[in-house]
Amino acid sequence: MDDKERVQITADMDELTRRDLLRRAGLGAIVLVYGGAGVKNAVAGVPKFRHKELAGTLKIMQWSHFVPSYDKWFDNEYIKAWGEKNDTEVTVDHVNLAELPTRAASEVAAQSGHDLFQFLSPPSAYEDQVVAMNDIVQEVTRKIGKMGKVGLKSTYNPRTKKFYGFPDNYVPDPVHYRRDLWGEVGAGAPNSWEAVRQAAPKLKALGRPVGIGMSQELDSNMAMLALMQCYGGYIQNADQRVVINSKGTRQALSAMRDIYKRGMTTEVFAWTAASNNNAYIAGRLSLALNAISIARVLEGPPWVTTPQRTDLMQNTWIAPIPRGPAQRLGLEHVMGIYVIWKFSKNKQAAKRFLVDMQTRYGPHFTNSGFYNFPAWPGGVKGGFKTIRRAAAKDRFKPLGKYTILTTIAEKYTANVGHPGYSNAAIDEVFNKFLIPQMFAEVAQDKMTPDEAVRAAEREIKSIFAKWRRRKKL
Amino acid sequence: MLEERRFLAAVLIGPAVIFIAVLVGGPLLLAIYLSLTDATAGSLHGDFVGLRNFTEAWDSPIFRRALRNTILFTVVSQAIVLLVAGTLAHALAKPFRGRWFLRFLILLPWAAPIALGTIGFLWIFDSLFSVVNWTLVHDVLPGPLEFKPYKAVNWVFARPVLPDWLEIKPIDPVAPPQWLGQSTLAMAAIIFVHSWRIIPFATVIFLAGLSSIPAEVDDAAKVDGATGLKKFWYVTLPLQLPIATVALLFGIVFTATDMTVVYILTHGGPFNSTHMLTSWAFDTGINSAALGQGAAISLYLLPVLVLVAVLMLRFARRVEVS
Amino acid sequence: MAGLRRDVVAWLIVGPFAIVLAFPFYWMLVTALKTDADLYNVESIPYKFSSGSPTTNNFEFLFRDTEYGRWLVNTAIIGIAVVAITLVLAVPAGYALARLSGGVGQMLGIGIFLTYLVPPTLLFLPLSRVVSEIGLQDRLLALIVVYPSFTVPFSTWLLMGFFKTIPRELEDAALIDGASRLGALARVVFPISLPGILTVVIFSFSLVVNEFVYAITFISTSSHRTISAGVPTELIRGDVFFWGALMAAALIPSIPLALLYNLFLDRFIAGFTGGAFR
Repeated sequence: MDDKERVQITADMDELTRRDLLRRAGLGAIVLVYGGAGVKNAVAGVPKFRHKELAGTLKIMQWSHFVPSYDKWFDNEYIKAWGEKNDTEVTVDHVNLAELPTRAASEVAAQSGHDLFQFLSPPSAYEDQVVAMNDIVQEVTRKIGKMGKVGLKSTYNPRTKKFYGFPDNYVPDPVHYRRDLWGEVGAGAPNSWEAVRQAAPKLKALGRPVGIGMSQELDSNMAMLALMQCYGGYIQNADQRVVINSKGTRQALSAMRDIYKRGMTTEVFAWTAASNNNAYIAGRLSLALNAISIARVLEGPPWVTTPQRTDLMQNTWIAPIPRGPAQRLGLEHVMGIYVIWKFSKNKQAAKRFLVDMQTRYGPHFTNSGFYNFPAWPGGVKGGFKTIRRAAAKDRFKPLGKYTILTTIAEKYTANVGHPGYSNAAIDEVFNKFLIPQMFAEVAQDKMTPDEAVRAAEREIKSIFAKWRRRKKL
Repeated sequence: MLEERRFLAAVLIGPAVIFIAVLVGGPLLLAIYLSLTDATAGSLHGDFVGLRNFTEAWDSPIFRRALRNTILFTVVSQAIVLLVAGTLAHALAKPFRGRWFLRFLILLPWAAPIALGTIGFLWIFDSLFSVVNWTLVHDVLPGPLEFKPYKAVNWVFARPVLPDWLEIKPIDPVAPPQWLGQSTLAMAAIIFVHSWRIIPFATVIFLAGLSSIPAEVDDAAKVDGATGLKKFWYVTLPLQLPIATVALLFGIVFTATDMTVVYILTHGGPFNSTHMLTSWAFDTGINSAALGQGAAISLYLLPVLVLVAVLMLRFARRVEVS
Repeated sequence: MAGLRRDVVAWLIVGPFAIVLAFPFYWMLVTALKTDADLYNVESIPYKFSSGSPTTNNFEFLFRDTEYGRWLVNTAIIGIAVVAITLVLAVPAGYALARLSGGVGQMLGIGIFLTYLVPPTLLFLPLSRVVSEIGLQDRLLALIVVYPSFTVPFSTWLLMGFFKTIPRELEDAALIDGASRLGALARVVFPISLPGILTVVIFSFSLVVNEFVYAITFISTSSHRTISAGVPTELIRGDVFFWGALMAAALIPSIPLALLYNLFLDRFIAGFTGGAFR
């Protein structure tokens, strides 16, 4: 890397684009950049990024993003730039998605840890441990418009009127399907659950079953809850009362049992969050419900280091959740929500960080490969219109598939707990995989839909009662 | 003064006891306190609710299943461990060619950090890429002769009449068994991993016991004409009993209090049927943030283990050869 | 010929178990050497290499793009420190319990053991408060201080057993020779109990390397992690498992540790059959 390039890099620091990042993939390059900048500055005398004593510190805890380059960009460029501008030393630690609750609990127990903590699901149970975000929510709304519904229902407690978290982003949950195979069996697209039910046996006969998980993992949780919703079944209603014992739920259970028996294999009970990805990418599944990690992996670099699977990629289409008799409505796959612990020593800087990040969300959207949709559509200037245009420009075939993703994010994504607000009871039902359990028991003929619903209802009601007693609902 | 027996004893034992009291006793008391409150989300305070956490935990069918599983997994896996480790130790006691290499292989499971070893098994039992399944349904003989192991397995399990709840179905080459997706198979997998990692540990302890049998006893047995099986039954076994008890005890403790294997392998699935008390307590207390209740579930373990421990220690002491 | 027959019988008995116990490690090795194209291909034969395998990519990735090397060093440091602390606490305690105390000693012995019955999944939250109060959050020292809480009970127990098998006559002889009790300890008892001490070293080290829950909760900075905590947290991103690297990560500590244990095992068994009994 010569001096000319170094100057160019330093100048470009304020406007980071995916292109720059990709050319400089790898921590080694990042080190060179800073080393190079240091050398150049020593010669030129005007320090732009010289390490000086920064007035404050800000510690962030975040998940390990599925897109490694997002983390590299965030850790090494974004927070450093923000830190310099705001006279704060920002550090970030990453942890696996599954480990977040453990870390959160231990930081609360220890009453020390990070200032900003990112959850990937509504942290309703932590309401008493965190600072209210009402002020910055208002500030951001003033600046860029209204918050999206998903964000609102995931971070607000209508009972205490407190925003216990700051919604940063959400990830829509589309359907990936093999257009070629669906065409082969004359089925078209998985437009409705009924269509899926019809096509599944034919696809299974081809050796390419449908893949919707009923395991103890995140994808199954989302898929089963979304399926239930499409049939009009909900865990709670808008008043946070348990309504799972309904016709809609029973219908969904029967439908899923049918789809499983005729169109899926036993593997769907043994899945980890990665299994449906692997199965789809290995060419085995004809349909999978998953965030766009599948599509991106098929595309290969720059998002992942494995080579492109061109054939598979070109035959993979994205679609919204199939329509059920009640509606077409899916859920967010994960929801990035930041909290500020009450024990944080730098709440001001933390709040500033969140506001600045959300009001200029563009780079985050692009650097995450469209994984992170802003909780405020206005976070990207121009809202969904701009987002749609940016998504449409994606160069990987089939062209335009990410436009559908935008529609899903805009119209077909609800919060976990819909039609009510997310709360600690819903969170517990979710974390104990009670919904996939219900579906799995029916699909494996261990219980009838009726028995399964009653059993689930009993358990869920006791959970709701427990949290109501704690005055969290 | 250092000669004063009791004072010396206090000085020598003191540091260890203080250390344990602070780092285990204190937190334990706090955990007991938490189980009697409605603490949530990692907070170390809560409102007192008496024994409600314990009764509420008991009401959940998943909890009762977890309790049953804890006992089942522990008993079965440790029975396997005792048999295998006892056999191995006996075979490894006297030197033979290649013993060092075989011992190395046997020690490997204990050497692997449990979280990493279990992730290895997650891959071995993977729903799509399981090497076990591949080996079962593919032709394993090179050349023109063909042999697919699943056929042999199906033949073996077709003979006896097996009870329904075992869920043994013939292996279908198109949809091979889901080791982590079917209840009984998942339980078998978990038991297998638990045994797998404790066997080296127990073997080493047994080896220690075997080699500590003084030579005089050995010679005496020979003089008395006790060899082979007779020697094993009347001499080796009784002398091994105290050490076997120790091995069993620690095996039970390490298995019953372990969360890692279940959590990584199945996370309690399929449909919450393979939870152990530890993993269920974790899901409740940490992932669902119902801390007080999680503590209560964990504490259900305590009386059972205490009982087992005290019984076995009494037994071991009585059997000890002076 | 009897020797050969004995060898064959031994191999016939031990061999199958050894194969079953070690197979996962063979499998880890094969997986670690495969490229992703080979690994995630349903058509490929798992036991054969193809599509670019074997490759050292996974190992390179491990050491180049993650802090795995750092984690190995951290684990080693913690292991050695904890073993040292354990010996300092457990050897005297084990000796005292074996020799010097009556009924109280028995009860204490059982009591120390009962501490195992409390799982770390219950203790880690209160402990995390303790750790933060003494200012050790996110430092290796936190683990070094906490880990002996589960290595000391077992080690004390083990050493108690060992010390009990050493006849008092040996010590008494030294005492008669004019040594103080402490001197008797040092000069006579410890050398003979070396096998016991080595066992304690092996087991304590293995307990440290295995530990998972505390390592995850007390440490959050990547460069301070141990292998047990770092591997699952950083090689599993969302719904992508880096299987090749995961298997490599699991293999790397296991082989040297198993070799080490095997070595110690010889010494410790030799100590038993030799020594004061002949």
